[in-house]
Amino acid sequence: MISGTVYGVVLNDRAERDALAAAFGTAPYQRAPVTPVLYIKPRNCIAPHGAIVALAEDAVLVEVAATIGLLFGRDASRVSPKDALDAVAGACLAVDVTVPHDSYYRPPVRHRARDGFLPLGVPGRFDPALLERDIVTFVDDREAHRWQCTRLVFSAAELVAEISSFMTLRAGDLLLIGLPGDAPRIGAGERLRAELDGLAPVEARFVAETVA
Amino acid sequence: MKRALLNHLGRPVWGEVREDDAIVVLPDGARIGFEDADWLPPATAGATIFALGLNYADHVKELGFKAKEPPLIFLKGPNTLIGHGQATPRPADANQMHPECELVAVIGRPARRVRAADALDHVASYTVANDYAIREYLENYYRPNLRVKNRDTTTPLGPWLVDAADIADPQALDLTTRVNGELVQPGSTADMILGVADLIAYLSETMTLLPGDMILTGTPQGVHFCNVGDVVECEIAGVGRLINRIAPDLLP
Repeated sequence: MISGTVYGVVLNDRAERDALAAAFGTAPYQRAPVTPVLYIKPRNCIAPHGAIVALAEDAVLVEVAATIGLLFGRDASRVSPKDALDAVAGACLAVDVTVPHDSYYRPPVRHRARDGFLPLGVPGRFDPALLERDIVTFVDDREAHRWQCTRLVFSAAELVAEISSFMTLRAGDLLLIGLPGDAPRIGAGERLRAELDGLAPVEARFVAETVA
Repeated sequence: MKRALLNHLGRPVWGEVREDDAIVVLPDGARIGFEDADWLPPATAGATIFALGLNYADHVKELGFKAKEPPLIFLKGPNTLIGHGQATPRPADANQMHPECELVAVIGRPARRVRAADALDHVASYTVANDYAIREYLENYYRPNLRVKNRDTTTPLGPWLVDAADIADPQALDLTTRVNGELVQPGSTADMILGVADLIAYLSETMTLLPGDMILTGTPQGVHFCNVGDVVECEIAGVGRLINRIAPDLLP
């Protein structure tokens, strides 16, 4: 479904940044992040709407952060914030799943890059109004979280401009524009559903991994 | 056997490298001489690109880190790759750009919960990468951050893939980087902290490795900052010699 690379950004939630301000000043960070803090979700993570996500023994509870993915229709390289969203051809609802981790010092491959750890909704039209609507996460039909991308430190356009200043966001790439710092957790046996008015919903069922 | 991906008549085509690496033979019968070939990075579209930091004991010491668990693994996008014989721009404000010669293992069969003893059965081939770093751009969040390690064209790869069957022991290969002919990075894959088999076992504990996925296995000591115009040669014995030039950044 996604032909390119999936990029994401953490520590882009204003409230989360404020809460971590004291920690940012200490080792190993020394100072607050200057540029967007990025990561890659590799292809084994991508799970379609309705997928079953298996949790290993070391991941009893995982964080599920619902966000918006921007789908690029053409390459974006060294674009200004004013023009940044011109290259965006679509959007989808995405749930970034991670094994909870406190340290942001080293890349989170072991935490964030597990099989099925990126359920994606079917892509639709990108409308800037999506950025100001509630993204709602349900666990077993109970509302577990609600937020908006108005909480982001770097806006969608600023992110694209910042990232494209040193690398090309290619046609087919997907950019997850930020995660809520207070994302809920989910465990085996529970069902997840994320909704955002204007995009297709995404659902996943979490089960305990059975090891042969 | 060695297989190379060339830009041929306007499209990428895989061919076989023959006659002591003198020619690449393409499926349509075309025979392209080594000097005439337009080398593309020998990579599978969509494949995951893993890279290791601090995976050689001597390099860990050189950078002032303590060797420690867990392994430092990061991911790269395909925008970083560039073929043999091409140029990589050095940003105008980057005085600390240095090459990193690395053995690359390419996965041939899906791997999930594979034991190290069986892991090399999942390797299809090997190649060489030069995983340039620009130290000025390091930040202490998900370090090495993408601004250092995910820039366009900063990861020359190739020139070709060598079948795993032709590499008797991936942990006994001499590895060198030369800049303008001067040896700056002498090493051996014997000095890896986690070898290819260990890395496949470790990664496959938590995720499925798929055919085409690549593991850049880290680099030995020998940090050498490069200048515009430098010719950088990364060579791994029995695998290949990968050449890249440092070009100026065209934009101010």
